[in-house]
Amino acid sequence: MRKTNCKQIRRELDELMLGETWSAAATEHLSECAECREFHVQQTKLRKIVGSLGTIEAPADFDFRLRARLAKGASSAPAIYWRLVRSGLIAAALAVVVLLGVVAVRDAMRLGENPGEVARKPEVHQPVKADQAPPVIPEQKPSDHVVADVTPATIRKFRPTQQADYKKRPLSSIAISSTGASVLNGTQPAAMSTAFPIDSSAQSFTVSLEDGRGNAKTISVPTVSFGSQRIVQSGNQFAPKRDW
Amino acid sequence: MNFRRITSAVLLVSALFYQTVASGQTPAPAPKAPKPPAAPQVVTIIHRLNGLKMFRLLLRSEQVQSIDALDSAFNLMDDVHTNVIAGLAMDDGETIAAWLPEADVEFGPQIVGFPAPPKSQMFPGSVNGFFDGPDVSVIGADGKQVPAKYIGLDAATGLSILKLENKNTVSASAIKEEPVSSGDSVLLFGPEQVTKTRPVLARMGAIEGRVENVMPAPSGGIARFKVSAAKLSKANIGGVAVNQAGDTIGIIDGLEGNEASILPVALIKRAAQRVLERQASVPRPWLGVKGEAVAALKLDEIQNHGWEMQRAAALAGKHRGILLTSIVPGSPAERAELRAGDVILKVDDKDIQTADEFTWWLEQAGPSSSVEFTVARPDRPVEWALNVKLSGMSDQWSRVNWRSRFPSIKGFWLIDQGIETIALKPLVASQLGTTPGLLVVYVDPVTAAFEAGLEPGDVIQTINGEPVSAFRTSPNSDLYTFEVVRKKQKRVVKIPAKKK
Repeated sequence: MRKTNCKQIRRELDELMLGETWSAAATEHLSECAECREFHVQQTKLRKIVGSLGTIEAPADFDFRLRARLAKGASSAPAIYWRLVRSGLIAAALAVVVLLGVVAVRDAMRLGENPGEVARKPEVHQPVKADQAPPVIPEQKPSDHVVADVTPATIRKFRPTQQADYKKRPLSSIAISSTGASVLNGTQPAAMSTAFPIDSSAQSFTVSLEDGRGNAKTISVPTVSFGSQRIVQSGNQFAPKRDW
Repeated sequence: MNFRRITSAVLLVSALFYQTVASGQTPAPAPKAPKPPAAPQVVTIIHRLNGLKMFRLLLRSEQVQSIDALDSAFNLMDDVHTNVIAGLAMDDGETIAAWLPEADVEFGPQIVGFPAPPKSQMFPGSVNGFFDGPDVSVIGADGKQVPAKYIGLDAATGLSILKLENKNTVSASAIKEEPVSSGDSVLLFGPEQVTKTRPVLARMGAIEGRVENVMPAPSGGIARFKVSAAKLSKANIGGVAVNQAGDTIGIIDGLEGNEASILPVALIKRAAQRVLERQASVPRPWLGVKGEAVAALKLDEIQNHGWEMQRAAALAGKHRGILLTSIVPGSPAERAELRAGDVILKVDDKDIQTADEFTWWLEQAGPSSSVEFTVARPDRPVEWALNVKLSGMSDQWSRVNWRSRFPSIKGFWLIDQGIETIALKPLVASQLGTTPGLLVVYVDPVTAAFEAGLEPGDVIQTINGEPVSAFRTSPNSDLYTFEVVRKKQKRVVKIPAKKK
């Protein structure tokens, strides 16, 4: 009996709009059934999330393009025309909802990674000692992960003029957005958090070698290394130990 | 009604799924860390290597005899690798110090000669336009890239000194010798990768650390200190250590387990001063010996070097001196008639107890300086004073170990002529638009080969009319005629033999 009630009540809750009141039977059932109360809470949360996402406006010519496409398809399958229209609209609506959900969840996850990073205030810096020049602090934009106003063209423009006219491998365009940098040990990067592109070769360098004993090996060199991630085995020999 | 129901069901399922994913992946908010100090004096250095330099790096680092195959897009003069590392903007607003890990590939075994070579020979590229000097640039705290000129390498510290072409284009702050004590909290600044997309995005990051061990310098001040931090990796080398007040306290020059070795500010300043005074690279002072501190040796190890039991025990009991285990032929040590088995007890009246102390005092003396050693010898009953004139060397390993790594053409060692080569197999030669032979990857600018016009990028076809593979050196040769291919054109380069 209760299962039947649950099914009916959930259907009723399902069909309610946000803010609408439900029947007395539903009120009575909800007071007794924890599962249905949970269902109702989840349903309400979901609707609020979806409701807060705002309206996605279709392009101005969406209607025209849709009609044109439908008209094109109508000649070949007139019998299923309206079914297709209907299922197409449902599919489109579902796709939009799923997309918005992904965006919302991703934003929520980012927020969790960097609490307090949204609408970040300008950095407050330590007092500067009297004998120090005041540090020049880069302007902080609302987002923590800002791609600097540097393009491959400007990078090359600033490359030292002593360099030969190297033929560069093609460089892809700068990513429009960047993901968050890893925040190590809970320490946020300081004022210098502006992301900048590294103008580097587009393709890793792979070479096959033969040593003096006839052994062959292949070495692949990454296009970019950070710090002293030596690209080949041997380390820097500036200060060998026990050799003077 | 059905439509609404289906939509609701999908929404519900989607929301539950996303909520599950989100709650599973979102980490619990970390406790808010104290805001780190700004360190605008820390900049990012970009050091690029082209294909020719990469070959040289491989030659120095691997047992490479020949290149068998290359990827199809390879070009000798294209950039093939970019190193991204931190740099420290010094207080004059134009000098940058950075620990560039691949800097040694830019120089010859003698750091283009010592004393300083003429400026026209600093980098061969300035002469022939083919082999350029180090390709470095600087990215300031605002993300803007500014041009910089490579001044030189201080081989004792491994620091490269750059100069900005326009003063004050990056932020600088006073670099003072701040006190450093065990237990101090520090921040290690360095560029970190943000995305691996094309192009790679980077930004300045920082990790927290703690000073663990401060090693005093024999002459006062700090010689080195260690900082422990979680997640230290080689990517942190070159990073700049900053104290809680935002003052620079050093540069990471190595890793030992979970600890970073930090070069203190005093040594950074001294390195910059040495290079700027000379406007060229400064080699390490070189004696030409291998050895070990007596205090670190067992009695029988001392005896194995010719010491009698009683005297060996006396030496070991005093815990002082450096026992020389080998002498490099032709080195300042050999010229001063030092021998394996000798023990250097003092340098300029300073007692030596550890290898680090010996290194320290030699570096204080500097290359091309004279030092006075107090020496004990197994077959000589009394200690005596010995004057030794040190020489300079950027890369000791190069002089001692390189010979075996370079193609030997039946007794004719091209490395002896200051020429570094790597053999090209036919397929690779064809790909590079040349013919098989020995590709010249470096010519020491203070050699006859350089003066004669041999250039990196040349492919040696014959020497004295014989193919390089069949060449036999003539004992009486005082001139070598090289037939080379340069930019698809054949040329002849005549190089006087280097006199020993």
